Amino acid sequence: MRFASRIRRVLVLSALSLIMCAGGTPAQDSAPPKNPSEVVTTQSFVSLDAVPRGKEFQAAVVVKISTGYHMNSHKPSDSYLIPTTLTPQLPAGFTLAEAIYPDGRDVKFPFSPDKPLNVYSGSVTLRLRLTAADSAALGATAIPVTLRFQACNMSACLPPVKVPVSLQVRVVAAGAASHATHPEIFSAKSSN
Amino acid sequence: MNRVVKTLSAAVLVSVVALGFSGCKSAATPASGGAASTTPALANEPDVTFKDLQGNDVKLSGFKGKVVLVNFWGTWCEPCRGEIPILINLQQKYGARGFTLLGAATNDEEKTVDAFIHTTQFNVGGQQMTMNYPVVMGSDDISTKFGGLLGMPTSFLITRDGKIFKRYIGALTESQVVKDVESQL
Repeated sequence: MRFASRIRRVLVLSALSLIMCAGGTPAQDSAPPKNPSEVVTTQSFVSLDAVPRGKEFQAAVVVKISTGYHMNSHKPSDSYLIPTTLTPQLPAGFTLAEAIYPDGRDVKFPFSPDKPLNVYSGSVTLRLRLTAADSAALGATAIPVTLRFQACNMSACLPPVKVPVSLQVRVVAAGAASHATHPEIFSAKSSN
Repeated sequence: MNRVVKTLSAAVLVSVVALGFSGCKSAATPASGGAASTTPALANEPDVTFKDLQGNDVKLSGFKGKVVLVNFWGTWCEPCRGEIPILINLQQKYGARGFTLLGAATNDEEKTVDAFIHTTQFNVGGQQMTMNYPVVMGSDDISTKFGGLLGMPTSFLITRDGKIFKRYIGALTESQVVKDVESQL
């Protein structure tokens, strides 16, 4: 019995030391935000395994945002905030029909308790509707795309950054066989 | 068995006392009694020259003799904007006692900052106010001289003799910064 009581005392003291430690850690300067490259990862997809000349196709960039972080949506809550954008640098023979951005979510944060911010968090899929013209070079082509975003956590923001993403496209002759890929991303129901 | 328990208890007790004295701290924070306790990386006096919104040089050393809170912020940074009422209040409260705020707009354009500081109203204790302290432009070079910025807002409290007393990453807590400013005045 005495042994059990002593063990209990040891455990209480241990807990106390942990509590003191937690309480002694200042709110400031204790948990610096990560680098933007650690906060967001990207993966790119193309809707067709081969893109026939003259045909429209889609490309998607799936952006995964670290837990505890968010980024402004494409339509942020006010004009000073930096929107998320996806901008392709198209090689000759490709045209952009449309960039498709999902709606953000209105979320209130401790630093903006009265005004909700329209943000992306978790995973978000940004899409581009592209066309390979008759003049597009046959074979494998890498289309560079720039993702621009500005991320924050609950108390601090990371500077706005531009992240390069590459779309791998294989162009084939007009009328050649082509198959849809990644229906989980490109089907009408999968837009987020 | 009793000896084992005694030894364990004594070890825990010593740890608790030691931790209590050390404050378990690994980051910059004033030690008890108000003495500055800064991380080694922050101990130097940053020798920086900002540009004001008209392109004129503003040397940090020009503020020697004053306690300065250098606040790296951005018009695009919502937590930075959220703490501006606290900063306006600090300037109002301590401006006549040898203190000044110095806002360093970062990743921004001069014209955007200029429009923002002259038109954006903040609710400061029920009163609508614009920013009442000097604002200059920050840059990557300047941030580097402060040891680099990991996020915004980041603020540095500078002593009257130009040394960094404390760094604050993220939105400020008013009670904490008031305590720190008062300790330096």
